[in-house]
Amino acid sequence: MITLHNVSVKYRLIKEVKKRTFQAYIIDYLTGRRIRADKLWALKKISLDISEGESLGIIGLNGAGKSTLLKVISGVIRPTEGKVSVSGKIAPLIELGAGFDHELTGKENIYLNASILGFSRREIGEKYDRIVEFAELKEFVNTPLRSYSSGMIARLGFSIATEVEPDILIVDEVLAVGDVHFKKKCREKILKFRDKGVTILFVSHNMEEVKNLCQKVLWLDHGKIKMIDDPVKVVSEYVGNTTLMEDRLGHNR
Amino acid sequence: MAIFSEFKELYRYRELLRNLVARDIKKRYKRSALGFLWVMLDPLLTLLIFYVVFAGIFGKSGNYKLYIISGVIMWQLLAQGTRLAGSSFTSNRQLINKIYLPKSIFPLATAISSLMHFGFSLIPLLGILIFSGINLSYHIVMIPLVIFLAFTFSLGISLFLATLTVFFRDVKFIYDAILRGWMFLSAIFYPISILPEKFQVFMLFNPMYNYISIFRALLYDVSKLRTEHVYFGIASAFLSFSVGWIIYQRNKDRLIFYL
Repeated sequence: MITLHNVSVKYRLIKEVKKRTFQAYIIDYLTGRRIRADKLWALKKISLDISEGESLGIIGLNGAGKSTLLKVISGVIRPTEGKVSVSGKIAPLIELGAGFDHELTGKENIYLNASILGFSRREIGEKYDRIVEFAELKEFVNTPLRSYSSGMIARLGFSIATEVEPDILIVDEVLAVGDVHFKKKCREKILKFRDKGVTILFVSHNMEEVKNLCQKVLWLDHGKIKMIDDPVKVVSEYVGNTTLMEDRLGHNR
Repeated sequence: MAIFSEFKELYRYRELLRNLVARDIKKRYKRSALGFLWVMLDPLLTLLIFYVVFAGIFGKSGNYKLYIISGVIMWQLLAQGTRLAGSSFTSNRQLINKIYLPKSIFPLATAISSLMHFGFSLIPLLGILIFSGINLSYHIVMIPLVIFLAFTFSLGISLFLATLTVFFRDVKFIYDAILRGWMFLSAIFYPISILPEKFQVFMLFNPMYNYISIFRALLYDVSKLRTEHVYFGIASAFLSFSVGWIIYQRNKDRLIFYL
């Protein structure tokens, strides 16, 4: 169960990187020019209930706030305003393998990553074989990750996050990596999760996939909820709207 | 209280803590030929350098070798740990940006891995101790206490530096310069008696000097154990940890926007 109540997130936009030094800070301070970072509301007053077992697709243009929304739900960002409550174990599939260390072997990375997700050594041990099997990396578990291909790394990341049996699965554009065969496996796995009653938050630009996987779709636009409804409805509205915008842009040029 | 709630989180993530410490230790020497032996070789080499250079000046007293190496490894506990921990948020930015974790786990892991290194560097120290023909007194059982104090002290500095580094990346360079000076002020290779008498009392305000002095006294000359070193040592460990923890707690939710 995920509940968001009036959630807003404010970012500071830092335009000049040089502001991050003492020298610049002191000069600015002495000249009375305090750091004025531009503020940007990445999310504005989002209220949302996601019930257990629901699979929610999240769509929107780049910069609409999709990733920020996921970060707020997974606890990475604390909202500037509003309340978030989440019950259940979350497995974020946001950019697979963020926690991988390329100097360590596949096996060491499995243990490291599963513990990043909050699992105990015993729990990881029980799932270890299945993780390796699903990732199809049996011969490589004792090889350092730096000699893996990017597809192999993605596979390993996906297997870890899914074998740990989360209550909430966050999928952010992961199906963009890996080969056709593995993509198919991932899709099947996500469907299986959905049928088992795992809550799924699915961010994608692939509208077909969104329609196939989700029961409900949320359309984010400039940090606000534009629409939340049945997938077919939202997707067709969204596609119509964006093509309209593209047309308009085209004319203006 | 809210500022303590993170302790519970850290306990929940103890498996990750263990993996981070193990990774740190494994990685540091992984691609070197001598590997883990470097943990023991490094203090011996530093001892060699100081001894060759300064034995002629300060080496008249009997336990000069012991004096140097005990200072060196105690100093390393602070210097190595805090230097690495200083960049522990920025270097784990990937992870912090994507997954919820109690962030203090990173400086804590670095501090613990330095403590483990310290543990291993006790082996060459023990070698020198035996070599010098010192009779160990029962006071060595109190050594873990002074190690605990030095660890707490450096953990506080680590939290402080790690947080500050996120906002100002220059902290790293400033701290490196401070460490260099600080080392020379910590009486690692010279006896404090060479300092003018009126400066000697200021040494009490150098926490590292206090820890090193207690450590040396317990190790081989308990007659040199001074209560004021102990008091100042306890106070600075407490102060350092409190300040570091509070600064980290007050900024931890903002860090993400600066990483």
